[in-house]
Amino acid sequence: MSVAEPRIPNRRSAAPARAALLLALTGLPALAPGDTQAPASGAWQNMRSQLYGTRAIGESGDQLSIEAPASTPDPAATPVVIRFGKELSGHVHQVRVIIDNNPSPLVTNMILAAGVPLDEIDLRVRIDRFTSVRAIAEMPDGRLEMRSTWVNASGGCSSPPNAAPAGALGEIRFHASDDGRAVQVSVRHPNNSGFQIDPRTGDPIPPHFISHIRLLAAGSTVLEADTGISISENPTLRISSARPLGTPLTFEATDIPSQQLFTATWTGGSMSAGSR
Amino acid sequence: MQHGRPTGRRWHVTGACLGAMLIAPPLTASPDSFEVHEIATGVYVHPGKPLPLEAAGHDDIANLSFVVGARCIAVIDTGGSVRTGEALREAVKRRSARPICYVINTHVHVDHVLGNVAFSADRPQFVGHAGLPAALERSREFFVRTYGADLRDPPTAAQIIAPGQTVAVGTDAVLELGGRRLIVRAWPTAHTDCDLSVYDSLTRTLFTGDLVFVQRTPVLDGSLRGWLQVLGVLAESSVAHLVPGHGPTGSGLAPAVAAERDYLSSLLAGVRREIAQGRALQEAIRDLSPAATDGHWLLWNETQPRNVARAYQELEWE
Repeated sequence: MSVAEPRIPNRRSAAPARAALLLALTGLPALAPGDTQAPASGAWQNMRSQLYGTRAIGESGDQLSIEAPASTPDPAATPVVIRFGKELSGHVHQVRVIIDNNPSPLVTNMILAAGVPLDEIDLRVRIDRFTSVRAIAEMPDGRLEMRSTWVNASGGCSSPPNAAPAGALGEIRFHASDDGRAVQVSVRHPNNSGFQIDPRTGDPIPPHFISHIRLLAAGSTVLEADTGISISENPTLRISSARPLGTPLTFEATDIPSQQLFTATWTGGSMSAGSR
Repeated sequence: MQHGRPTGRRWHVTGACLGAMLIAPPLTASPDSFEVHEIATGVYVHPGKPLPLEAAGHDDIANLSFVVGARCIAVIDTGGSVRTGEALREAVKRRSARPICYVINTHVHVDHVLGNVAFSADRPQFVGHAGLPAALERSREFFVRTYGADLRDPPTAAQIIAPGQTVAVGTDAVLELGGRRLIVRAWPTAHTDCDLSVYDSLTRTLFTGDLVFVQRTPVLDGSLRGWLQVLGVLAESSVAHLVPGHGPTGSGLAPAVAAERDYLSSLLAGVRREIAQGRALQEAIRDLSPAATDGHWLLWNETQPRNVARAYQELEWE
């Protein structure tokens, strides 16, 4: 299952807010005047033609939805929720998530296993400024569906790491919901975007991020994805399935540029699993 | 060493000068609109406004203080704009001709530091937490981009002044003002990763910066567990006057710390419960951010969702 695909930097809309501590007392930093306009769609129009050519993309119906806070409480870790209705669940082959106005708009390209009735996928993303966030789902027959939402934010791509004490690089945690339908898996990783500043030198911190993840249930791949710098620090994936996933769950994450593989297996019960 | 203590007479005279100044055309906005209270001998506080950071007047939301010694004056926090810093400086100059020898920033947040440059002509020693230079470095470009209108035109990163004297956790600094000394203490990560408190030995006044919020919803930008630990230590202090980072003075340290500990403890318990139940980040934010009702902390609706988000990201790794 190959999901490799070039990431498409969007230089035009980069405006790289490199040094930003989100210092807002209110958590809702003031927007620059230009940011109050409707998000530009240029980035999406480019990507649409590169990724999907002139293929038709459905944009209506209740089988796909995307949810994100209209005004994000934390631009560096904004929850994005993608939901599939009964007719789509288990029948989506691929999902791309795109944040139009981020320096690197393509958040992830996820490949889903056929027949696993996922009904929800949650991600946490960095959002640099007012933007559309969109999910494009592709069915095995090539049919495309897209939904989008707007998010107001500032500086998410250049926020410094959370000041709370950090754990060991590559530590992996699983959390299951009480009803057993949802599981969240996170890996301790700075996911440096390349837009953050090293306070000692004033230079950009080089990109160092999780570039590929895979989740297996009972030995079979459930989800595999290419991921980029728009994913938040400590990359986190949460999925919900209409049918409980088999155990054990195994999570693998590979980073760039070190190509280090982080992996952990979880048999249920205890909240956390060993890492590496 | 009491000779330097300002006497009532001296301030009376200054007040007369102020009256004369008011007749002259104001240089900028009318200077008397910049409210300053002497809460203890030689301890002056300008009360910040209870406004959100995106409101008009957002550059004047933090409590700003100055302490007058026999030799010189220390300023504690400078406001969210050069305008505010200049108004504070004028307020200092109206009350004393002594030099401003220290400008202390209690932490990196914009509402406490952007006025620094207004004091550069006084050539004071700028004092901050050992973590402040790095925090400012990270923030510089964001400040210029987002708060450019609060700097001198054209806005430049050079206007955001970093401390020349830093204080590391575990090593208090003592600043001698003549007749009184300020004890500057650096704290481990709490409200932010560069929080300082300042204690005036003469009047037993404690300036907590944003380690203590009164009435206004505390903002979590450091570590929730760390902050609760710091408050545990602060609660042991005995002081005569509290100057919080935001909110009225005069409430007393113990009740202020108790109220804030209640809030942060309840945030901690709530977020831990959500995580234990496997609730997602967005669900936790919804569950724990009910719309404000009467009697809530001020600016709750603007602050609480982000506090939940930050706490969640800290506590999910416990």
